[in-house]
Amino acid sequence: MTGVLPAELGEHAFLRGLPAEYIARLAQVAAAVSVPAGHRFFEEGGRAVQIWLIRTGRVALDLHVRGREPLIVETVGGGQVVGLSWVCPPYEWQYGAQALAPTTAITLDTTAVLSYCDQDPVLGYQLIRRLMTVAADRLHASRIRLLDLYAAPSQQAGAT
Amino acid sequence: MEEAGQARLMDVTALSQLHAALRGAGYQVIGPTVREGAIVLRELHSADELPFGWGVDLAPGGYRIKQRADRAAFGHSAGPQSWKQYLHPSREKVWSVRRTDGGFELEDGHEAASRLAFIGVRPCDLRAIGIQDQVLGRGQHAASRYAARRAGIFVVAVNCTEPGQTCFCASMGTGPRAGQGYDLALTELLGDGTHRFLVEVGSQAGAALLAQLPTTPADEATVTSGRAAVTAAADRMGRTMPADGLRELMADSHSAARWDDVATRCLTCGNCTMACPTCFCTTVEDSTDLAGDHAERWQVWDSCFSLDFSYLPGGPVRASDRSRYRQWLTHKLGTWHDQFGSSGCVGCGRCIVWCPVGIDLTEEVAALREEAAARDNEDRPAGQAQQADGAP
Amino acid sequence: MVASRRTETRDTVTLALRPAAQPIGSHRPGQFTMLYAFGVGEVPISISGPPNGSELLQTIRAVGAVTEALCAAEPGRLIGVRGPFGTDWGVGLAASAGRPADGELTTPVMADPAGKDVLVVAGGIGLAPLRSALLTMLAARERYRRITVLVGSRSPQEIAFAGELSSWRALGAEVHVTVDRASAGWRGDVGVVTQLLDRVDIDPAATIALVCGPEVMMRLTARALAGRGIATADIRLSLERNMRCGIAECGHCQLGPLLLCRDGPVLDYERAGPLLAIREL
Repeated sequence: MTGVLPAELGEHAFLRGLPAEYIARLAQVAAAVSVPAGHRFFEEGGRAVQIWLIRTGRVALDLHVRGREPLIVETVGGGQVVGLSWVCPPYEWQYGAQALAPTTAITLDTTAVLSYCDQDPVLGYQLIRRLMTVAADRLHASRIRLLDLYAAPSQQAGAT
Repeated sequence: MEEAGQARLMDVTALSQLHAALRGAGYQVIGPTVREGAIVLRELHSADELPFGWGVDLAPGGYRIKQRADRAAFGHSAGPQSWKQYLHPSREKVWSVRRTDGGFELEDGHEAASRLAFIGVRPCDLRAIGIQDQVLGRGQHAASRYAARRAGIFVVAVNCTEPGQTCFCASMGTGPRAGQGYDLALTELLGDGTHRFLVEVGSQAGAALLAQLPTTPADEATVTSGRAAVTAAADRMGRTMPADGLRELMADSHSAARWDDVATRCLTCGNCTMACPTCFCTTVEDSTDLAGDHAERWQVWDSCFSLDFSYLPGGPVRASDRSRYRQWLTHKLGTWHDQFGSSGCVGCGRCIVWCPVGIDLTEEVAALREEAAARDNEDRPAGQAQQADGAP
Repeated sequence: MVASRRTETRDTVTLALRPAAQPIGSHRPGQFTMLYAFGVGEVPISISGPPNGSELLQTIRAVGAVTEALCAAEPGRLIGVRGPFGTDWGVGLAASAGRPADGELTTPVMADPAGKDVLVVAGGIGLAPLRSALLTMLAARERYRRITVLVGSRSPQEIAFAGELSSWRALGAEVHVTVDRASAGWRGDVGVVTQLLDRVDIDPAATIALVCGPEVMMRLTARALAGRGIATADIRLSLERNMRCGIAECGHCQLGPLLLCRDGPVLDYERAGPLLAIREL
């Protein structure tokens, strides 16, 4: 893991538009990450204390439903983020996460980030706005997936 | 327009000879006649079967025939049927197919279209035939069964001098005088003890047939008074429905509250579509015999009011009554222009009469106009609004 | 006549049809035919293969009596074919001809996206009519700039034409697949198909999008594409309505002022968008 320049951090789509002073502050608690396919970022139930801003590659969020291999619930790629559970209680990962392909990312120490936000609510507001957008997009997409639009009529909810 | 010199006069008794001449020319003669308390279209075996002395009282959801004080043959307006039942039958076979070793093959079987003569076509109905021609007889349909039937007909139109209580052909620009498309056009003249018809020729076939009938040249006074009676009828329509901007009104009214109002009344029974002379929608029914060796496809009238009409796997697109009434009206008065180049409504008023709950489209349109006007007024502020920087 | 039959998924079959007597005219990608199962009935089915003069490929999903009968057809069986009907994707050398004025409507000519990027977005069985356009373009690969295909499916087992995707990559298309829900062993993308747009580098001014799938999916996808700067006139959708005659005389396929068997099924989003926004139109 190596340090991260503010310029590199500022490039990521998630932080676009964030004032430079905040970028610089966040860069102090950031580290560059490069992992091979198969790398597990975290497991369900673990303490959530990081966020990853994915640069290249692909990460799967998964849940152990039955058997050995977990089922993927969502995949995330470059320009997106992995790890939201640090924002609110119970501060535990709700899913596991695994790189499906060689992946590079910038990770932030979210304990430090939250401390910065407590001291400077403006930073906090900026980050929450961005996190809310990610969550809303994923919620919307999840609802669309639940509509099961590609199902045959006999497969649809309510079909006899 | 015919010149006064070309119009002819014939006595009412010549109607029998008209009938005979048409029969002699190989036509099956169809016209109005009284049957079971209504004036319907049937094959006429003689001119005597015309509804002499019968008129009608029309109202939303109401139709009664009544005896007239005179013996007019055409003193009635649109009955429950229109000429579309002959040109675009409610049931007809599209094909029949026979199972073979390799699969199946089409069976030949084109019944020769009988030649039909229509007596008593009102101007509204004449225009309706022209409108259906645009849908069913043009372009890729030029060789269709409809086109074949249509090519063989002989039309004796009758101008209107006495509109019915639900008529509004004048609003729709389709009457009370017959437009083009007739072979002969009659104007019934009753008075001072005479019963005559002014006859105008619309085609060579019409002229040829007229030549076989006992007629006299019409004098200018008679022609003028006959024409005036028809023109005056335009001011005595039972209903009006200003037609300006109807297409735009329909396009702008998709979310109007009025549709909810109509939906509380409309039964989606589809009577209007059956009675309407321009409604053309059909569906097909495929069936086999019990042995499964022989299959037929029949084309039958369908109605956009049926729930099934817009069916897709997963359910119909237009599930609510509201959406189906809206579809019918916005198509008839609005998108028909986009699809076929004219309005679909001819002002015959049948949909008003034959609606079991008496929905009157002229009223619905007036309500939609009011609602649209109110909507426009809301969008525009009462005065010029000032912007924050003071600019108007 | 059914020359061959291929099962695509649990309920979807592709039939390769050859003329038993008269051939139908050559089709353009995006058009459909009315297929007749003896004694059962007729349905509109998209042509899923490119125009090649010998075989007509039609991909059918069994959702009712007629489609079930068609899906059960074995090689050698005779099927009735009427068509081809409708507007096309505007792709390929045989450029789509605008329809002459009929009533007050004219169908605008859809230009072949030669020299441009083509973004194909398919939802479920919507990949079938798009396949016709895609193979036509891949056969003339140098005419187009980037060709990208985004496929959304219900599950890994229900990916239409799954076995062909690698051949499309080999022919020069970038192909991404996502599923709404994964099953054990799936190691690909999971999410709605619009989420795949994040994977693609889009040059909005030089992109034509071809979209087909359930109507909700097309609405959301078109909106997402427009949101990325692609002109609504450059987003082409293939719409569906109840069709009985296929020749604009039965009235069933109306969508506002349009008769979809004649003015569609392919429409650009500039025209289709406002119509799709009206509920129960």
